[in-house]
Amino acid sequence: MNMISKFLKFKNYRLMPKLIIIYSLLTVIPMAILGYIAYSQYISSIEKQAGEYTPLLLEQAHANIHNQIDELKLLPNLIYNSNQVVGVLREEFYQTNSALLHDEFVVNNFLNTTYISGGNPNVLGVFLISNNRLFQATSKSYSGFELDASSFPFGQDFEWTESESIILPKQISLEFEGNPQYILLMKQLTDYDNRKKLGTIFIAYELNFLESIFEKLNSEKGDIWLMNDQGRVIYHSNHEEIGNIHIESNDYPILNGSFRTLNENENKLISLHTSDETGWTLAQSIYLSELTQRTDMVRNVTIIIFIILVIISLFLFVIFVWNVSSPIYRLVKLMKKVETGDFDVDLPTKSKDEVGLLAISFNSMVNKIKDLIKENYHIEIKQKDAELYALQSQINPHFMYNTLETIGMVIEEDDQETGVKMVTLLGRMLRYSISNKDRLVSIEKEVSHIEDYLTIQKIRFEDRLTFDIQKELETEQYYIPKFIIQPIVENSIKYGLERIEGIHILVKIKKISNPLNGGEEILLVIEDNGPGIDTERLIYLKKELKSDPTIKKDGSFGLINVHSRIVMTFGSNYGLQITSLESRGTVVRITIPCITSDLVASNLKMGESDNEKDISSYSR
Amino acid sequence: MRDCRISLIIFALLIVTACNDSEETKYKVIYSGESESEEQMDTPVEVKNSITKPATVAIVPKVVNIPYFNAVEKGAMEASKEFGVNVIYAGPNIADSKQQINIIEELIEENIDVLAVSANDPEELLPILNKAQRSGIRVITWDADTETEGREFFINMVHPETLGRHLMDTLAKHTNEKGDYAILTGALSAANLNEWMHWMMAQQEEYYPDLNLIEVIPTDEDPNKAYTSTLELLEKYPNIKGIIGNVSVAPPAASQAVTDTGKIGEVIVVGLSSPSQMREYLNSGAAQVVTLWSPKRLGYLTVALAKNLVEGIKPYDKQYIQGVGPISVMDDEVIMGDPIDFYIGNVDEYDF
Repeated sequence: MNMISKFLKFKNYRLMPKLIIIYSLLTVIPMAILGYIAYSQYISSIEKQAGEYTPLLLEQAHANIHNQIDELKLLPNLIYNSNQVVGVLREEFYQTNSALLHDEFVVNNFLNTTYISGGNPNVLGVFLISNNRLFQATSKSYSGFELDASSFPFGQDFEWTESESIILPKQISLEFEGNPQYILLMKQLTDYDNRKKLGTIFIAYELNFLESIFEKLNSEKGDIWLMNDQGRVIYHSNHEEIGNIHIESNDYPILNGSFRTLNENENKLISLHTSDETGWTLAQSIYLSELTQRTDMVRNVTIIIFIILVIISLFLFVIFVWNVSSPIYRLVKLMKKVETGDFDVDLPTKSKDEVGLLAISFNSMVNKIKDLIKENYHIEIKQKDAELYALQSQINPHFMYNTLETIGMVIEEDDQETGVKMVTLLGRMLRYSISNKDRLVSIEKEVSHIEDYLTIQKIRFEDRLTFDIQKELETEQYYIPKFIIQPIVENSIKYGLERIEGIHILVKIKKISNPLNGGEEILLVIEDNGPGIDTERLIYLKKELKSDPTIKKDGSFGLINVHSRIVMTFGSNYGLQITSLESRGTVVRITIPCITSDLVASNLKMGESDNEKDISSYSR
Repeated sequence: MRDCRISLIIFALLIVTACNDSEETKYKVIYSGESESEEQMDTPVEVKNSITKPATVAIVPKVVNIPYFNAVEKGAMEASKEFGVNVIYAGPNIADSKQQINIIEELIEENIDVLAVSANDPEELLPILNKAQRSGIRVITWDADTETEGREFFINMVHPETLGRHLMDTLAKHTNEKGDYAILTGALSAANLNEWMHWMMAQQEEYYPDLNLIEVIPTDEDPNKAYTSTLELLEKYPNIKGIIGNVSVAPPAASQAVTDTGKIGEVIVVGLSSPSQMREYLNSGAAQVVTLWSPKRLGYLTVALAKNLVEGIKPYDKQYIQGVGPISVMDDEVIMGDPIDFYIGNVDEYDF
């Protein structure tokens, strides 16, 4: 479970750590493990080699030692070469001192010529105890060897078989001048002919022959020692150890072969060879570090090179990964920006690899999207323009007909002056409506157009119609969309005169502050005292005003037409409101933003193509 | 961070396994030479098993109750104690091969491992020795040999040539290399005695032309017969200058006869005999020098070699035998050592 959750976590990691982990898993760790295995195998093969080789060397050395010891063991037999000496040894009683001293002279002389001056240079001294007599010959002066029983370990009258025994260093008090290390060979001499004990011979044999054997063995720095089966050290490359008991040897797992200590501090290779004959063990102990000294250098260099390589390759790898992941990061950021509607982004690319291709594709994709949006937008704007144009262009043919009929009637009555006035007014109105290139016009122009219209209607309906226009701001300064007042006034006249005798229309224009944002806006109020709108119709109208202005409407409703145009041009904050009471009258309020002549002039300079910008800037 | 943790886990695992190792044992054996030595140890164990029942060695001398063979018996018994082998010592009352055959016949029935014989006759004993071999007994000879097919090896005390020539030298030295002499031997059929005599005569012909052998008299190792033979000899040849006793009973008998006839100093007595038998005559001057080896040592050696034979060790040249010293071996003949001369100065050192 743990592993799975870890893996899942791993899946969610960023690309950079992921790639670095995979890189380490695939290269650094296997390399390190491989290196470790190779090194430890190599070390253990060195160990094994040394472990197999050293016991063989030890065996050879041990054989040399054996040869020497065997030679040593033959030394006592030299006594039998002299019948005279054997004869002396057979003596038990002496009548005179001179006879005793003469015999001592004979034997000492023999020992001296045979063992000290003539024979083996390693012999330090020879002692012969026979029937309470001590004969001796030594090459160095000595102390600690007396005829009394205390001076040697087994006493004088020990029972001893034929075979010789070796007294190891420090088991006896005998010491030679200069304190050379020696072993003492002790052997009972038997009178083979009479089958009696002749005495006991002790030969002190210097151990420096071991020194040369050890030196030959000890090419490495290590300890070499020879010990007996009780672990008593017979000889040691460190002379201070001679004669001590080697306690550790009790724990040794084998007596022939090699083994390694598993102690962290003292990692030693110990090789042993034990002789079946004597039970002596020749041992060598080497620090493994001595063996692996040369390899350690190689190992350290390899480790350093490995670390440098890992660092370099990791560095390169990080750069590479960074090169891959950082454009992706930037891409993600830019995508978020695009998400919020900002298409003005550009991902800079340098490389031509997959990441570069991705950036190029992204850029081209964003540009394409931008273009598509632009195209769609233009189409929509054009459609709107066309629509607006159509709406603006609507001049009521009814009005034309009635006006022309009135003009005809006036001319028939021969009131030429009124006829001319009416034709002039109509002409002005027509010209105003034809010149609809400008969608926004100054309030003054719109108001004068209304005045013209109302004047014409006044001429037609005479006293049934009265009107008043109140301008509470500089009508030259502010601009409004064309034809927004006329359809409302038209409505008032149409419905008012249908049902009642006389009607008064009031048009008020003023500047107010918006209660919502505190900004200024223009309010147009068209008031009449007509019959009002019945409740059913009022509800229908109000519903129509709230609905989406872009949906095609029944053009016959002038009110809705005007409202739609304002909403489309300035946004839904602006528009038209109706309040009406039956038989009391109707009030229509139109709110539009304050558009000064400066603003219109600056917009005009930008030209036709920036129409959409006008709209958006107005709406702000 | 992540890979850090992974590597830490790996390290931890390595350390843990390493720790486990060190807990199990203090040492790790790399190479063991033990197996070889174990094999070597096996063989002695088997040998020990086979000799848990101590080996039985039968020693058959030419004759019993003469000092020489008594000394052999002492040596053999000492070795028996030393090596832990059973020793049966049995021989005829007179040096006769027929009686020896009867004794061997009885010994074959006694479940012995080794039969060591000092043969009175090299040929007559062959059938019975072969019979013993067929019943699984290892046969060796000592002191006096048989034909080679009758035994595995022969333990000789001294080299026959050395001994024979040396005996002649001692006689020549004391007779000033001239005059008549006679030899008293044991049984005329005894191989070793005849061989010694052969070398005595060879030495005399080679170096001592003035010496003259007048008679060889068999004594059958009987002291009485030797004594009477000497008396007859002295009577028969008044000018005789020397007597060589070729067998251990002869020199004492001859010395006694010389003493009894008042011819001390006139007739030189040399030969093979033990110090204890000759001490009196050497001191009185009736005998000048006798030569021998230690019969105790011979008995001891015989038992030692018999025991080795049971354990599968055949004697080899320069082998060091515990309690005896080095031996030399020529073909199938073991030679114990060199002869010892006993004279008035050293005869008291020896107790056989």
